[in-house]
Amino acid sequence: MDELLLSKIRLGVIAELLNVDWVTFSDLQQATQTTHGNLGAHLAKLVEAGYLAEEKVFVNRRPQTRYRLTKTGRAAFVAHVRDMQRLLEKESAS
Amino acid sequence: METMHASDARDHIEMVDRILTRSERSLRVGGEFFIVWGIFSAAVTLTAQLVVDRRIASGSLWVLPALLAVAIVVSAIRGGQLGKRKDGLSLIQREFFSVLWISLGLAAFTDVAAYRIFSTWASSAIWTVAAAIVLFFIAAHGNRKALACGIIMLGSLVAANFMPSYTGYALAAGMLFGYAGFGLISLIAHD
Repeated sequence: MDELLLSKIRLGVIAELLNVDWVTFSDLQQATQTTHGNLGAHLAKLVEAGYLAEEKVFVNRRPQTRYRLTKTGRAAFVAHVRDMQRLLEKESAS
Repeated sequence: METMHASDARDHIEMVDRILTRSERSLRVGGEFFIVWGIFSAAVTLTAQLVVDRRIASGSLWVLPALLAVAIVVSAIRGGQLGKRKDGLSLIQREFFSVLWISLGLAAFTDVAAYRIFSTWASSAIWTVAAAIVLFFIAAHGNRKALACGIIMLGSLVAANFMPSYTGYALAAGMLFGYAGFGLISLIAHD
């Protein structure tokens, strides 16, 4: 299991980014229903691990932070979901 | 090292499944492009047929560049609005816009660059095929309305082939009911 993705919020963030390109912080906050500080801390861990790319841009002269899933993040997500499925298969077999 | 219980794994997989189902479904086509270009292409074909039938004077063709200008302006404005939120577009949405512009762009290029090979009805038929490709792409993502409208367009192509005196009318009907019709249905349904 990927320890970083054991957190439901971090796993949710990765899943949100799987089918889109860049997503803003506020969109992720809305999707995950978390507080600003909490989400910021989770995102920082994912960026630090190389799972997400972070970019600061200006939209209508306002700063905006947006995120994109990296190849490393995508691979980690796929492996983690596979591990969870194996765990469930093991449980149903026993 | 943290471990995970099976109940947590089930809960997490369900959450991932919900998120992916929501994001994969989000192919929003909008209706404006379809209405504008469906009406424009139907108008071009219909005008050509009416001129051939001598029901209107060939001088009436001046209306076509004006209609083309309207279609381009509306598309540019709408495209600009969508471009502003391009970051939030799903990959499938981007793929859709690529298919849309490549299909229609190639059709437009062929009609202009090879106008001697594809004269009058052939150029309209190419436009019909390009529009049908766009509709079938949308249909492939689970949109039955697009499937029905794509079939209408192909039906109009076959009908045009077997009605030499009414070729333009048949193709124009396909563009109007198939392409512009799909746009109208999508707008009403907020797809």
